[in-house]
Amino acid sequence: MTMHVRFREHSLSFVKPIFSGLLVAFIVLSASCLPAAEPQPDQKQIDFFESKIRPLLIKHCYDCHGPDEQESDLRVDTFKGIVQGGKAGSLVVPGKPEQSLLITAVLYQTPDLQMPPDEKLSKQEIEDLTNWVKMGAPYPNADLSLLRAANEKGKIDLKKEREFWSFQPVKKPALPEVKQTEWVKNPIDQFILHKLEETGLTPAKPTDRRTLIRRTTFDLTGLPPTPQEIDDFLNDSSPQAFEKVVDRLLASPHYGEHWARHWLDIARYADSNGLDENVAMGNAWKYRDYVVNALNKDKPYDLFLKEQLAGDLLEPAKDVAERNERLIATGFLLLGPKVLAEVDKTKMEMDIIDEQINTIGISLMGLTLGCARCHDHKFDPILADDYYGLAGILKSTKTMESYKTVARWNENSLATAEDLKVQADWDQKIKVEEDQISALVKSENERLQKEGGAEFKLPAKPEPTYSKEAQAQLKTLRDQVAALKKERPEVPTAMGAAEREIIDVPLHIRGSHLTLGETVPRHVPVVLSQQPQPPFSSEQSGRLKLAEWLVNPDHPLTSRVIANRIWRWHFGKGIVSTPDNFGKLGAKPSNQPLLDWMAASLMEQGWSLKKLHRTILLSNTWQMSSEWNEKAATVDPENRLMWRADVRRLDAESIRDSILAVSDGLDPKLGGSLLTVNNREFVFNHESKDGVTYDFNRRSIYLPVIRNHLFGMFMLFDYADASVLNGDRASTTVAPQALFLLNSHLVEDASQRMADAILNQTALTPEQKIEQLVLKAYGRAPSKMEINRSLQFLDEIERDLQNEEPDSVKRINRAWQVFCQSVFASSEFIYLR
Amino acid sequence: MSILPQALFSRRDLLKKSAVGFGNLALLSMLNDETRAASAKDPLSPREPHFEPRAKRVIFLFMKGGPSHMDTFDYKPQLQKYDGKPLPFDKPRVQFAPTGNLLKSPWKFKQYGESGIHVSELFPNVAECVDDLCIINSLYGTNAAHGGALLKLHTGSDAFVRPSLGSWVTYGLGTENQNLPGFITICPTLAHGGVKNWSSAFLPAPYQGTPLGNAAIAAENAQIEFIKNGFLSRGVQRKQIDFMNDLNRMHQQQTGPNQILEDRIGSFELAFRMQEEVPQIQDISGETEATRKMYGLDEAETADFGRQCLMARRFAERGVRFIQVSHSDQKVQWDQHSNLLEGHGKNAKEVDKPIAALLKDLKQRGLLKDTLVVWGGEFGRTPTAQGKNGRDHNPEGFTMWLAGGGVKGGIKYGATDEFGYYAAKDKMHIHDFHATLLHLLGMNHEKLTYRYAGRDFRLTDVAGHVAHGVLA
Repeated sequence: MTMHVRFREHSLSFVKPIFSGLLVAFIVLSASCLPAAEPQPDQKQIDFFESKIRPLLIKHCYDCHGPDEQESDLRVDTFKGIVQGGKAGSLVVPGKPEQSLLITAVLYQTPDLQMPPDEKLSKQEIEDLTNWVKMGAPYPNADLSLLRAANEKGKIDLKKEREFWSFQPVKKPALPEVKQTEWVKNPIDQFILHKLEETGLTPAKPTDRRTLIRRTTFDLTGLPPTPQEIDDFLNDSSPQAFEKVVDRLLASPHYGEHWARHWLDIARYADSNGLDENVAMGNAWKYRDYVVNALNKDKPYDLFLKEQLAGDLLEPAKDVAERNERLIATGFLLLGPKVLAEVDKTKMEMDIIDEQINTIGISLMGLTLGCARCHDHKFDPILADDYYGLAGILKSTKTMESYKTVARWNENSLATAEDLKVQADWDQKIKVEEDQISALVKSENERLQKEGGAEFKLPAKPEPTYSKEAQAQLKTLRDQVAALKKERPEVPTAMGAAEREIIDVPLHIRGSHLTLGETVPRHVPVVLSQQPQPPFSSEQSGRLKLAEWLVNPDHPLTSRVIANRIWRWHFGKGIVSTPDNFGKLGAKPSNQPLLDWMAASLMEQGWSLKKLHRTILLSNTWQMSSEWNEKAATVDPENRLMWRADVRRLDAESIRDSILAVSDGLDPKLGGSLLTVNNREFVFNHESKDGVTYDFNRRSIYLPVIRNHLFGMFMLFDYADASVLNGDRASTTVAPQALFLLNSHLVEDASQRMADAILNQTALTPEQKIEQLVLKAYGRAPSKMEINRSLQFLDEIERDLQNEEPDSVKRINRAWQVFCQSVFASSEFIYLR
Repeated sequence: MSILPQALFSRRDLLKKSAVGFGNLALLSMLNDETRAASAKDPLSPREPHFEPRAKRVIFLFMKGGPSHMDTFDYKPQLQKYDGKPLPFDKPRVQFAPTGNLLKSPWKFKQYGESGIHVSELFPNVAECVDDLCIINSLYGTNAAHGGALLKLHTGSDAFVRPSLGSWVTYGLGTENQNLPGFITICPTLAHGGVKNWSSAFLPAPYQGTPLGNAAIAAENAQIEFIKNGFLSRGVQRKQIDFMNDLNRMHQQQTGPNQILEDRIGSFELAFRMQEEVPQIQDISGETEATRKMYGLDEAETADFGRQCLMARRFAERGVRFIQVSHSDQKVQWDQHSNLLEGHGKNAKEVDKPIAALLKDLKQRGLLKDTLVVWGGEFGRTPTAQGKNGRDHNPEGFTMWLAGGGVKGGIKYGATDEFGYYAAKDKMHIHDFHATLLHLLGMNHEKLTYRYAGRDFRLTDVAGHVAHGVLA
């Protein structure tokens, strides 16, 4: 039924749009209200059931799906049971054997559902069952319309579904009333304060400047502020002091490095395929650098999405650099893990498409579209039909070069005119040498022929009979050709999408390519389109249309989802606490007006993410302290309403980067690849030998991301899995993290470096040394109590080491090293207030 | 001597507190008393199963590469008879590589034990334990490639990233020793899914398998990452942790009551204890000469796998919930596309004696009755020949066996066709196998769920039937 509705909607787009909505509503209404006239079975059909079908069911099915047992909640000994179906779905679609689970099961069409399990029915039995379904499943004394109704049930009422909060268009809400107006610095505060006042809570007082600059510097760059930066801020008495800090940080290239990592989490970025055949994605880093640059340039978010979905289809680029940037951006579609040795090639292709649909759904729209692969979505109004509408777009897109084991993803050439010229020149050099070879061979052959006379027949392999000099010369030439070929300059390529044959995909019943239903024209999910969408062109895959539809201001999800993500990445939790799920099973927003205001502002401000960051960071909400409030903690223990700043652990990358930075061991170089395995080579196959090293002092974002074998330290600290996208990383506290901080070389080396440096400052007293170290690590001066305890500790350790280390200089050095390590491992270093 | 007010850091309180354990999720809603009590509960503390369990822990002996069932535990006299003849029925729609005519097993079979079950001469020692084995001859899967098949066997899915079997078990039951991880995998392969095969995917991190080395590392040198401190004595490190505890307590004064920071202090205490306990378990110097001999530690062929099996027993004794042992090293071990005789001969020699030792040792210590031992690979092999003397991958029908923990010993469950190509009788899909394992551990596979991305996930997806025929 719904399928018809959709087609109507398409055709109605040519009528006046104002009527179409009404008509759709009417059609849906009529579908659900008017019972279809059901032809009643005749006696012959009933006899057929009694003589052929019922005995068959008794013999093969009743044992598990009868009066005694109802496996998978299915029983077939009553008409009611047949109507209800089982866990796998409805059993019979009257008149349509090819869509009926009963028939696909007895045909053993899919490996997952084969009935009866022990032995396939006979050909005759299957034919009987098929005929029975074709007749409409006649059954004595039964109302067959129930069967049809059961299949209609669960079809969706679009108008009603669109009332769900996240499916409604974004409207900029009016600012709410607040009492404590002096606290409001910008609209964000007004929305937050309104909720707090409603609940009888008050916001925490502003935090101190040291805490604020530490919190904000980590937030925007993933690094701690330097003592100098802290001093500058403390000494700036102008009212714009904090604004200056925020603008400085937003302009820092480290901003892009840190925030790109957030995006990479939801782009499931990795440098290797993972899954079954773990080959290196040696050019993925170009996509990573694209994201870093896009954020640093504040590329508008709508363009950012369009480039990633359809960069190859945008209007002609102004130059090669822009063309390449767009081609690289489409790597987004290809980054997912793929089963590259799948024997069933059709399944492989559909699995890859599924991974792409799932990613687009969750990362850009907060919807689990992947659920609709096997059946209409159980919770959200996404039909299997919608799923296959999107599948057609992706099937018309080339993301794989070959499906032959080991399958290869597609790479696009990034060659500049100069690259091509260099290559052409090179080929010319090869040709010159090859021509010389041919000429030499020809002249030698002619010589032999001439010398041999008319009777002479040139042997099949004449070269051994050439003159010594000719042979030597040939060898030299051939060696030169081989060397030239080996050294031939490759043109740069990047993982990316291209167009291919445009094709619509049939519905896959139960998600299997072995049971196909009707062909579904390419389209975007109906429930999310406020306006009926015209049919897709047969000239293009539709990726560009999909992208344009996503960033259309009418789209209810795109702006909300990204605004919520930005909030989540600043505060550690979303306004919608399930940033990857805005569907029915996702959480409801804790403050929808605030979210909608941000989403609308983002669009108004030309989709500038930096402007949104600025608004958030300059609010009083951001600048609250983390002070404890007994009353607020009782009312709102999770701090959903934001009555204070949360105490939060740094993410894995920031922990590593700040250990390196504070110990003066961080190499701040931007961009490029640190992968030591060549493109498409195995990172380890049968040998479990790891070809990748992480022994670099570069920022964490540049370390290789190897699926199935992530850098150990990252795994311990809840790094994104890199196979499943994740916009809401966990923050666990487990003992292996403590083992890392206590025992790893990374922390040992950094603390050694720090101890050596401080001991070199021989003019400092021990107290001053402690002060400097604490200032560098925590961004504040130590308390008297801390200094005393630290001195006591240093003394204790130095004494303890006397047994094992006779050299007092070394002992003291070791004690300071242990001290520095303790500072790194302490909560204050790893947790932000 | 501490110079801080005593109230700030009573060590006894601290040690009590650290019983919260190996892993504490950073749950944020811990500030009112009720939720606080709930979140302070260790995710790894033992949990009640759904019903009376038959087994309390699992030792999974994983034979990577796909051991041939027709040459080990699935005796096929017809195959011997029709050697060299074509297979008289259709081969599967998709295969890994083309195969030729039927190839008989190069090994003789003999009947063993009271049950009289046939076992090939590849496994003379395990055969002595045949009356404890429940041999399932009717397993089948769908994926004919190593990667997909490994993932299917370990996670129930060959297309998506899903939590592994061991993670589900640990999530469902917690673990018995809070000084150790609940799920340990010894020398796992990093290929063909690698960490995915022991990952917790969307389940919380404490349910992740903890690898002890990997397949490229000799069992003798296998370590939990970062377990050893190479530069500080234990006494100095104790003082260091005390110092850090003081720093952390002072820090906590600025944050107000904070369960995560409390738990963090506990995690350092636990790490300190793990550092002591894990090497003790790995140190087998206290084992008797007889035990070492029984596991084959004195023979070059069996020493490595023997040590893995012995460690598995030692972890089982200390209350680890799920222990995996992998027979897999530089090559894909049981993957004899050619030279079946040589390859399977070598592999079986390496594992037969240690496995038999493990079974006997568990039995004599009274551990076998509530320890479920599982043996098998990711698929079987074809009865038809690949090349002259090899067999190809065959997910259509293969064999695994169970022992101990509430399974019927001395039986064969299910069967393949007369040549061993397809599972034919009492077919057991991988999902059914998982459902049955969970059942043995006291869990209903349909009720062991975790909500992620908007729906409840199960190890068995939407499938799985418990094979009641294997239950004692």
